[in-house]
Amino acid sequence: MSSLLRSSFDAPPPPRPKPQPISESDESSSDSSAASVDTVRPNEHEQVAGPSHWTNYFDQELWLDKDLADGATARYHAYITPPTNPAKDPLFVCHHGAGSSGLSFAIFAKELRALLPNAGVLSLDARGHGSSILNATRQEASPDYSLETLTTDALNILQSTQAHFTWPQLPPLVFIGHSLGGAVVTNLTTVHGKLLAPTLIGYAVLDVVEGSALEALAHMKSYLAQRPSLFDSLSSAIDWHTRTRTLRSATSAEVSVPSLLTQTPSGRFAWRTDLNSTAPWWEAWFAGMSARFLGGRGAKLLVLAGTDRLDKELMIGQMQGKFQLEVIPEAGHFVQEDVPARLASLAVEFYRRNDRSQLVLPPKVSDMIAKGMKV
Amino acid sequence: MSDLDKHIEQLRACRPIPEAQVREVCYKARELLIEEGNVVGVDAPVTICGDIHGQFHDLMELFRVGGDVPDTNYLFMGDFVDRGFYSLESFLLLLCLKVRYPDRITLIRGNHESRQITTVYGFYDECLRKYGSANVWRYCCEVFDYLALGALVSGAATDLEPTDSSFAAEPSQTQNSMSEDQAEWEIEVLNSTGQVMNRYPRVRTQNEFSQLSNPPSSPGQSPSRSGPPGSGASSSAKGSSGNSGGAVLCVHGGLSPLIDSIDKIRLLDRKQEVPHEGAMCDLLWSDPDEIDGWGLSPRGAGFLFGADIVKCFNHKNDLSLICRAHQLVMEGFKEMFDSSIVTVWSAPNYCYRCGNVAAILELGEDGSNAGYSARGNGDANRSQGVLQPKDQERALGPGRRYRVFEAAPQDSRGMPAKKPVADYFL
Repeated sequence: MSSLLRSSFDAPPPPRPKPQPISESDESSSDSSAASVDTVRPNEHEQVAGPSHWTNYFDQELWLDKDLADGATARYHAYITPPTNPAKDPLFVCHHGAGSSGLSFAIFAKELRALLPNAGVLSLDARGHGSSILNATRQEASPDYSLETLTTDALNILQSTQAHFTWPQLPPLVFIGHSLGGAVVTNLTTVHGKLLAPTLIGYAVLDVVEGSALEALAHMKSYLAQRPSLFDSLSSAIDWHTRTRTLRSATSAEVSVPSLLTQTPSGRFAWRTDLNSTAPWWEAWFAGMSARFLGGRGAKLLVLAGTDRLDKELMIGQMQGKFQLEVIPEAGHFVQEDVPARLASLAVEFYRRNDRSQLVLPPKVSDMIAKGMKV
Repeated sequence: MSDLDKHIEQLRACRPIPEAQVREVCYKARELLIEEGNVVGVDAPVTICGDIHGQFHDLMELFRVGGDVPDTNYLFMGDFVDRGFYSLESFLLLLCLKVRYPDRITLIRGNHESRQITTVYGFYDECLRKYGSANVWRYCCEVFDYLALGALVSGAATDLEPTDSSFAAEPSQTQNSMSEDQAEWEIEVLNSTGQVMNRYPRVRTQNEFSQLSNPPSSPGQSPSRSGPPGSGASSSAKGSSGNSGGAVLCVHGGLSPLIDSIDKIRLLDRKQEVPHEGAMCDLLWSDPDEIDGWGLSPRGAGFLFGADIVKCFNHKNDLSLICRAHQLVMEGFKEMFDSSIVTVWSAPNYCYRCGNVAAILELGEDGSNAGYSARGNGDANRSQGVLQPKDQERALGPGRRYRVFEAAPQDSRGMPAKKPVADYFL
């Protein structure tokens, strides 16, 4: 069994309200084809949540069971604060990058709702990340991290969420994807554009550009090799993230880092996601992303950290006015964690500007003539 | 030789001038610019240029192709800085030329002439790198606030005096269909050595107009419509059906729903940082598009505007053409909406990697009296509106000569090292 699967069956790290435990003999219970849903609401009697606990940032967490096409089952995990009125208030759907988790968007979600109190935020855990679990029925099945599969996962989560809340239709949608998540949401809005079109407002991609991502992939293996593989404690892991400036906000690191790790039998903490095992898919994640980004439906926002690293295709697209580009010099790669308030205000502005239900444009000349006005 | 001439010589060699001198030049430039209105009046002949973006060596190539200041009268439509490696030298050279020959060069503001944008897209960092402090950037930004928002070119000839030079390649059939003597040339496209790439006669009716073929650079393009703006699909050059007799409005981006007359541009308070919204923002950020009416701009600032908006604006303001920059055009220039608006782009191989050519637009002087005389802004006989054009109002836009040029050979000295590769990218 791969280390990925092994880590999947470990209990989530404390403090976290316990989900229904999944045992390896649990297959019989997941034979229903419809998605079944468990919602875990924080229980006051269970434990007192600290300031870095997810309950400070989201209303609920969802466990969404789904039978996958290849005979495997998935138990997706996501954090959500639903929109007040799903018929008109937007839902921001956030997809983290490889090796990260849904809690990467925790503080961002809170900042966003401070600006737009009726908005919803759905931040999912991708397979093999955070608390999402892929339960392969066939033992030999190796984890599939292809872009298509991750895209299907994201769509499954969105549709299961809709079913869970019995929304007659999806709320107005703004997708936000960081790094690999950017590739996923770009692919999602392209491949499933028709399905999402009725309520899709737009998508934002955080700090990933095909050209520079492909360039950087060459260095990824050595980067991963240099990372510590074990931490003595959660606080030492948090400390490592801030000390190396991987994350630049200590507050955010305290919220997000615990969800990246899993406790080993020795009591130490190892990475929950084995990034090296995802290496075969790295190139395919990003190849063709610029064209998809420019070609997709909906409004487009690209947020880059530090400096502008556009590749040729995006440079031409940007200079022809095809998307909105924002560069945040003071942020590191994890834009949503480093400058959550700034990103939240960009996201809200992006939503407000592109919300067609509130859009009033000046009149067309032909309409003015039809009304008998002098033009 | 005056100090200013020395500065110009030094900057032409792509060497920055000392901070104290920058300060002085910026001060003088501001004194000059403050006297200019929001819309500067410019007399033809004039050579109109689009975005430069700190591509100093390409700016030198532009001067080689278009002629030197003060021999040629220039109008630059903004975006002098950012992205290229020599924003400082490019902008200071243009500014020194402006101070030295105020009547031979006009500079208007682009969306990159702003504090906020330059801190992100390179000019700020370049100043810091070259001077060790942000002072020069600050002086330049103060100048930005005084740049005019637009220019109004009057006295342009309706017909081109065809150049004597030969065709670069065998002319296409369309061009041969009219004998050289009868031709009233409206558009001529030259390459950087002055050879004719294409020449288009004046077209007077819609029928004739539709027979006009596009330049060979865009085969298969429907002649009646061009592709989406900025798609790089074509640099279509077509006969004009603008209003007869009219000036040419030059602005960096385009129109604004808040501006229905040029006088409204004149009323703006321009001496400020480019705002995030409003008329001044729109003039610097908007783009024409194949839509009806107004649309949201995907850029996050400004608007998209369609053919009806342009034709209505031109009619109302007695314009024959709007000339703008702001959008990368792979072929250097692109006329849209029956030649009522043109995009001119003057940064070849943009950002040293986009592979596009650049163009400048020459408008000749109306010396023969065969052209139009400018009319007043009165509303007489306009009540029927532009969507039912009358034959007698069929148009004579200015004769337009585009010179297309490629990037200068790059001098790699002085280029900063490649940007560091991101260390983490999953």
